[in-house]
Amino acid sequence: MTHLPLTPSGLRLRFIREDAPAGDLLLTVFLRGAADGLNIVVPHGDTDYYRQRPNLAIARPDDRSADPGDRCLDLDGFFGLHPALAPLLPAWQARHLACVHACGAPDESRSHFRAMELMERGVASETGPASGWIARHLATRADDAPSPLRALAWGTAPQRSLSGAGPVATLRDLQEIQLAREPRQAARLSHLIDSLYSVEPGPLEAIGRETLQLSARLQHISLDPSSDLPYPPTEFGRGLQQLACLVRADAGVEAAAIDLGGWDTHYAQGGAKGVMARQLAELASGLAALHEDLAPFWARLSVVVMTEFGRRVKENGSLGTDHGHGSVMLILGGHVAGGKVHGTWPGLAAYDLVGPGDLAVTTDYRDLLAELCQRRLRNSALDQIFPGFTPTTRDVFVA
Amino acid sequence: MSLPRRSFLRLAGTLTLGSALTGCLAHGRLQTLGLAMLTVPEPLGEIPPPLPEREWNVLRRLTYGPTLEERRHMAEIGAAAWIEEQLAPESLSDEAAEARLSAYPSLEQPASVLFDLSDELFDDQDRSTVPAELRQATLLRRLVSRRQLFERLVEFWGDHFNVSLDKGDCCYWKTVDDRQVIRPHALGAFADLLSASAHSPAMLVYLDNQSNRRGAPNENYARELMELHTLGIDGGYTQLDVEELARCLTGWTVKEHWWRGEFTFDTDQHDMGTKQILGERIEPQGEAEAQGLLTRLAEHPCTADHLARKLARRFIADDPPKWLVEHTAQALLHSQGNLRQVLGALLLDGLDAIQPRFKRPGDFVVSSLRQLQAEVGEPAVLLEPLARMGHLPFGWPTPDGYPDRSSDWTGTLSARWQFAAAMMQGELPGTSIRLDRLLAASPSLSAACNSLGILLLGQPLAPAIAQRLLAAIAESGLAGEQEALAFAAIGLLASAWFQWY
Repeated sequence: MTHLPLTPSGLRLRFIREDAPAGDLLLTVFLRGAADGLNIVVPHGDTDYYRQRPNLAIARPDDRSADPGDRCLDLDGFFGLHPALAPLLPAWQARHLACVHACGAPDESRSHFRAMELMERGVASETGPASGWIARHLATRADDAPSPLRALAWGTAPQRSLSGAGPVATLRDLQEIQLAREPRQAARLSHLIDSLYSVEPGPLEAIGRETLQLSARLQHISLDPSSDLPYPPTEFGRGLQQLACLVRADAGVEAAAIDLGGWDTHYAQGGAKGVMARQLAELASGLAALHEDLAPFWARLSVVVMTEFGRRVKENGSLGTDHGHGSVMLILGGHVAGGKVHGTWPGLAAYDLVGPGDLAVTTDYRDLLAELCQRRLRNSALDQIFPGFTPTTRDVFVA
Repeated sequence: MSLPRRSFLRLAGTLTLGSALTGCLAHGRLQTLGLAMLTVPEPLGEIPPPLPEREWNVLRRLTYGPTLEERRHMAEIGAAAWIEEQLAPESLSDEAAEARLSAYPSLEQPASVLFDLSDELFDDQDRSTVPAELRQATLLRRLVSRRQLFERLVEFWGDHFNVSLDKGDCCYWKTVDDRQVIRPHALGAFADLLSASAHSPAMLVYLDNQSNRRGAPNENYARELMELHTLGIDGGYTQLDVEELARCLTGWTVKEHWWRGEFTFDTDQHDMGTKQILGERIEPQGEAEAQGLLTRLAEHPCTADHLARKLARRFIADDPPKWLVEHTAQALLHSQGNLRQVLGALLLDGLDAIQPRFKRPGDFVVSSLRQLQAEVGEPAVLLEPLARMGHLPFGWPTPDGYPDRSSDWTGTLSARWQFAAAMMQGELPGTSIRLDRLLAASPSLSAACNSLGILLLGQPLAPAIAQRLLAAIAESGLAGEQEALAFAAIGLLASAWFQWY
């Protein structure tokens, strides 16, 4: 595995000038741990689903024997949404939400770390660029004076998808960027650190100076979080809320990445209620609040919710699910073919499954990302972003 | 609880040396503070001359930050002898550190007692005291133990056999895991370390093996055992091997009642069929099936490669030379996994291959304190800054452990700068850095800054750096010399040069 080394002789991609109008702001939400697509967008029309998951399956929309609150929410007569995703129905009805099922990557290692790495690098196997796909996209559309917030990683370390081509602002909270509470002290320290980071050039020196510029820039942005919107009171919710502030303040964010963990439900996954349902509730309320908060900007926004792979069709002995293959991708935006579940359903009969009994992948995740880059991010350099890959048009994004 | 230094001294003066060290140590705060007095680092004053580059690199890489004491010792005996000494930690007396650890009673308790201690009759369980003590003790050891390489290895194996304190009862069992799995075997035999981990309730609960049962298998632990702990992802095992190993591991679980939190092999849960793993047929033998496989995995050449690569990356360079990785892998195979010998081979033979690595937040925080001879009365004050930097001990959620590449941590710069400022401005309760003594021992502010350079960067300040530092001090408008020196220290701690080790 090669990584771009961060040494004094470190590599950086060359920035190329391109005078093209700006594309959408991209937000990727990565569900870490291999989220169970089958219980997110439920194939309630498939009897094998119920046969394989006597305990974990979500009840059909018309199942009278189940509590109404436990039934899935019908989307198109075959698929339904997990009830905890109810907050996303307005987006669905407004045609701002599209689902792509049986979506995933070629990798069959069923290893979180490997699958996440390959997916974030936008490659099918080890060989290929070590950088992230979003980083490559940003590098081919570079700017002479980029905003320090151009690539924003929400958390404590840049997501792999953003890494490898220039500075990434990494924040867990916007307040974190300030050096001291007292402005005079903050200014003094900022000047001191900047002068020491200017002594000699280097990758870390550049990151340091960019960090200081970011701090300076944020002091000039008036942040006014819309506290009456129902963002979940979690790190994920706060991240979305603060991102919304930055969008409204026109802070120059082009691509942001945020994670939501807790999806590796080997044990006691729960059905309509339980561990996974709680994660879905957090995801849905966060995205729904963001949808409402950024209503005027929605035409310029693309949100992609993805996960490294899905989970075994058959539930395991601990009322959970083991690692699987195909999963679901959720896409939100002002220019998506929303209100539809895209993709080709491969079926859940024994002969339809792959490996030890997993949902097949009929849509490569890169088809969606390539279409996103081309139609929404105004970037046709697909051979640089996804080298060696020939995407298939899926018409999920609208140019 | 924080006390100003004057009261600290007054209280300590009321204890006699004898009563502090002998007799039953009550866990009162007073005694702890008294003992802390006995283990204070040497104060700043006359700074020793810079070490040669090799010795400086070894100290930075193999300790949590060169202290004055370690620098002097290194200057006396040289890098090779220093490493040999550290490879035999039992030969280094560590009473001072041990005395301070008495403040954390939960460290020595068995699992069932830890659980009971946290089990409050009418309220929810206390899930924070036991993990907090483990975290504080871990940081304290890194700060004050003489067995620095040993602590570095404890961290390495803790990352390798990652258990997150945030998953269920792991918040209690990890204390036992640290004591019974990682520490006894960090410089022992890898096979023993692996077996201890496989029998560790913390690990079994963390990776869901306690619900891996006959007829209802759970693959999580079996998979990570091969992918992360031994063979590595390219180690040639298949999905079928994972499933079969899971079957062998059925029944490896944790007691729920009567000695709650201890390992037990539950025959009722065990899958008694024959298994086929890595080309070998395994006859039904109960616990011995997986036990035999653990030995086989420990001795496998792919495991040797995997471990050698990780060790070389941690201790030598982000991208270590191939010959050194192979040399280390061979040492693992030929010594039957004798980690003391392996580390000897890696460090003594790879000494000159050491390349700068970017400090992880824990390295930054502890080295800042050690290199300025800080007294840390309350390690608890370090927990919040480390959490913000994303490097709280035992806080990484996934089994792959905290990332170990330079590029993974460059997002934490502003949090580090804030920590440096808080530390030098006296905002960390119980922590003090005595710059007044450094100033008193220096002919000028400029000379004192140079001493800071030697302390933090290993060398007197290069003219370009000194010039900028003094200019920034002049422009800051800070009145007193001590304030100015503290300001200079923040600059150097925050600088790019101090982020590498």
